[in-house]
Amino acid sequence: MTQPLADHARTGTERVGAITFDRRLSGLSGIAIRGFLLSLVTFGIYRFWYVTELRRYFWSRTIVDGSPGEYTGRGKELFLGFLVAIAILIPIYVAIFIATISVPWLAPFGSILSFLILFVLGQFAIYRGRRYRASRTLWRGIRLGQDGSAITYAAMAIGWSLLTLATLGLAFPFMRASLERYRIDHTLIGSSRMASSARGRSLLLPWLMFYVVVLLPIAAAFIAFLVASDFTIPDDLFVPKEGGKPGETQFNSDYNGTPIATFGAILMGTLGFTLPLGLLLIPFYRARETRIFVNAASLGPVRLSSTLKARQFYWPYIVYLLSIIGFVLLLGLVIGGGALLLHAGGTQSGAHWAIVLGMIVGYLGGALFFAVLYVRVITARLWAAVATTTTIENAGGLDAVLASSRRVGSGLNEGLADALDVGGALEVGF
Amino acid sequence: MASPPIEGTYFDGLSARPHPVILTLEDRLEIAGRDLHLAWTLSDLVAGDTVRPLMRVGPAGSAARVEFTDEGLAAALEARCPDLHRTDPAGSGGRLRLVLWSVAAGISVLLLAIYGVPAIAVRLAPLIPASIESRLGGAVDGQIGRILGDPPACDDAPARAILDRLIDRMTANASLPVDLSIGVRRHAIANALTLPGGRVVVLSDLIEKSATPDEFAGVMAHEFGHVAAHDPMRALLAASGSSFLLSLVLGDLTGSTIIIAVGQAAISAGYSREAENAADSYSVEIMRRSGGDATALATILERIAKDDEHGAFASLLRSHPFTAERANRIRAMAGTDTIGRRILDDADWTTLRGICRNVPGKATKT
Repeated sequence: MTQPLADHARTGTERVGAITFDRRLSGLSGIAIRGFLLSLVTFGIYRFWYVTELRRYFWSRTIVDGSPGEYTGRGKELFLGFLVAIAILIPIYVAIFIATISVPWLAPFGSILSFLILFVLGQFAIYRGRRYRASRTLWRGIRLGQDGSAITYAAMAIGWSLLTLATLGLAFPFMRASLERYRIDHTLIGSSRMASSARGRSLLLPWLMFYVVVLLPIAAAFIAFLVASDFTIPDDLFVPKEGGKPGETQFNSDYNGTPIATFGAILMGTLGFTLPLGLLLIPFYRARETRIFVNAASLGPVRLSSTLKARQFYWPYIVYLLSIIGFVLLLGLVIGGGALLLHAGGTQSGAHWAIVLGMIVGYLGGALFFAVLYVRVITARLWAAVATTTTIENAGGLDAVLASSRRVGSGLNEGLADALDVGGALEVGF
Repeated sequence: MASPPIEGTYFDGLSARPHPVILTLEDRLEIAGRDLHLAWTLSDLVAGDTVRPLMRVGPAGSAARVEFTDEGLAAALEARCPDLHRTDPAGSGGRLRLVLWSVAAGISVLLLAIYGVPAIAVRLAPLIPASIESRLGGAVDGQIGRILGDPPACDDAPARAILDRLIDRMTANASLPVDLSIGVRRHAIANALTLPGGRVVVLSDLIEKSATPDEFAGVMAHEFGHVAAHDPMRALLAASGSSFLLSLVLGDLTGSTIIIAVGQAAISAGYSREAENAADSYSVEIMRRSGGDATALATILERIAKDDEHGAFASLLRSHPFTAERANRIRAMAGTDTIGRRILDDADWTTLRGICRNVPGKATKT
C-alpha cells in the first residue's frame, strides 16, 4: 500500500508501475477458519465458496499500478461446474471399469489407461479453469480473458510429456516454456493480447541443477558399483530372509567386506542423501521459472520485470515446516503429560478416554491450525513474493487497453478441474 | 450535507485510462474532470471489495467506477447509501442457507450410500455374469493375500484329497450358482472368507481351532451359504457403490477410497444380519444332509466369541453379530438328533488337520 493511486504526475509511457500486496493479511485467518469449519460440516461442498472468498481477498489486495484487482466469480458457478463435471466423469469411470473387467487383456493396463485419460482431462481442465479465473478478473473495470483451445493445450501437454519421458527429463524446461507461451499468448486484458517470449533454453540451467545434484552423484555411485562388481551383479547378492515373509530378502553375508558391499552401501547412501536434496531444490527451480516467465511476459509496449529471489520461496516452507514440528512436539507433550497425570490419579479408564479425546481434539485442532497456517504462510507469502517483486515497465501503455465485448465464459470451465483435483485455488504467478 | 471535494480517479469501463477527477458528495456523487462531468445517484452506488483507505464505487450494473483514498468520503458515502455493500455474495444469510442445504444434501447422499446402494446391490448381484464375477474374485483374492501378508498356501496332497472329497459330498445337490474354488492359507486367524466367484479362503487356524471335523465343516457350509446367496458379490457392489458415492461428495474422484473400501468390505465381510442367518440355516441343512453334526457350527462360534472377550484374538468372525443369539438359533434349527455325528472319521480328520504340512515354519502373525 505504498502507492495506492496511480501517480498522475508521471503520465509518460516510460513510467514504471508497481504491484503491491497488503501483507497485513487482516481478516484472512477468519476466512480460512470459517472455510475450513464449514467445509467440514457441509461434507466439503462449502469449498467452492471458500475458494471464491479467498480469491476475492487476494485479488482485492493486489494493487497493480495503483488499482486493485477485482474477482467477480461466485461459489455457485464453481459448484454447478463441479456437478456437470461429475456427470461427465462418472460415465468415463464406469466405462474404464467395465472395460477392464470385461476385456481380460486390458486388465493389467487398467490403471495406466485411466491415468492417461485423466491426465489429458486434467490438462484440459487446468486450461479451462484458467479461462474461468481470467474471465472473472477485472482491473480498472476491464475484464481479463483467455481464448485458445483447451484441446490443443491438452494435446501439447501430452506430446511434451511423452517427449520429456523419452529424453529422460531434458525436454521438461522446453515443455514448461512452450505451455507458458501458449497460456500467456492467449491471455487478454480487455481486447489487448499478452505475449510471452519464454524460452526453454533460459530454464535449462536451473533445471540442470537437478541433474548435477541428484542424478550425477547417483550415476557416479552406480558406475563405481558396477566397476567394483566387474559389471556383473551376482545373482545371490540378496538371499531370502530366514524366518521372514515370502519375498522378503536380506543382504547375503558372504559378501560382507567385499568391494561390492562397500560400493553398494555408497550407492544407497548417495540415493538417501541426494533425493531429499532434490526435493529441497524444487522451490529454487520454481522461483527461477517464475522469474523467467514473468520477465518474458508483455502487453504491447508494456513489459513485466521480476526480481524474485529463491529465498523468498524457501522462507514460507521453512516457517511452515518448523510450525508443524513445533505443533507435533507440543501436542505430544500435552497428551503424554495429561495421560501421565490421570494415570497417576489411578483412573485407568479415565486416562484411556482422555487420550482418545485429546487425540481427536488435537487432530481437528491441528488440521484447522495447519489449514490456516498454510493459507497465511505459504499461499499468502508466495503470492506476495511474486506480486511485490514484479514491476511494470512502460506502465503508461496500459492506458491504451480497451475493454472487450467478448462473451464471458461460464463457471462450467472450472468444474472439471475441481472434480479432477487439479489446479489450486490460487495459482501463484497467474 | 456536502463533504469537501476529494481527488479521485475515474475509469469509464471502456478503457484502462485513468481520468483524474474531483469527487463531491451532494445529493448525488458529483464527478468532475477534464471534459467530464458525471453525477451518480447515491442509491445506485455499489462499493467494491477493497482495503481501506482505498475505495472503489460505481453504479450497479455498470463497468464505470471511481477509486479514491479518503476515509471521510468513504464514511459519508456509507452513511448516505446503506446498500453500498449489497452485492457481497458471502453475506451471512446466504451462507447459513447454503450450509443448511449442503448439510441436507450431504446427509441425503450418506443415507443413499448406507441404505439405497445395498438395496440396489441385492438386486444386481445375481445378474453379474459368472465369468466377470470369477475375475473379480481373483482380483480380490490377490488383494486379501497382500492385506494378510501373503500367507503361504497349504496344499499337503493327502489332506487336500480328503478336503476335496468332503466338499464334494457337502455340495452334492446343493445347486450352487458357481463352481467352488477352495484354498487354504497358513495364517494365525481362525476364519474363512468367501470372495466373489465361489472362492473360499480358509485360514489354517480355523482348522487348528476346530475340535471336531463337524465344526470345520459347519463353518465351510456357512460360507457355501454365502456363495449360494451371492453375498460376496453383493457386498462388493454395495461397498464400491457406497464409497464411489461418498468420494463424489467428498470430492475425491481419484478412486483411492474405493480401492480401500473394497478390500475392507471383502475382509470384514460386512454382511447383514439376515445374510448371516440365511447362511447359518444353509449350513444346518447341508450338515444334516451330509451326515454331520449340525450344531457344531454353534459350538465353534461360541468358542471363537469367547476368545474374543479376552481381546487377544483377532478373529474376523467378530464382525458377525450376536454370537449367542446365532448359536441359539442354530441349535433350535438343528434339533438334537444330529449331535454326536461325525462328518469325517478320526484318521481322515487327523490327515486333514495336517494340511499345512507342506509349508515349513510357524504360522505368521499379522
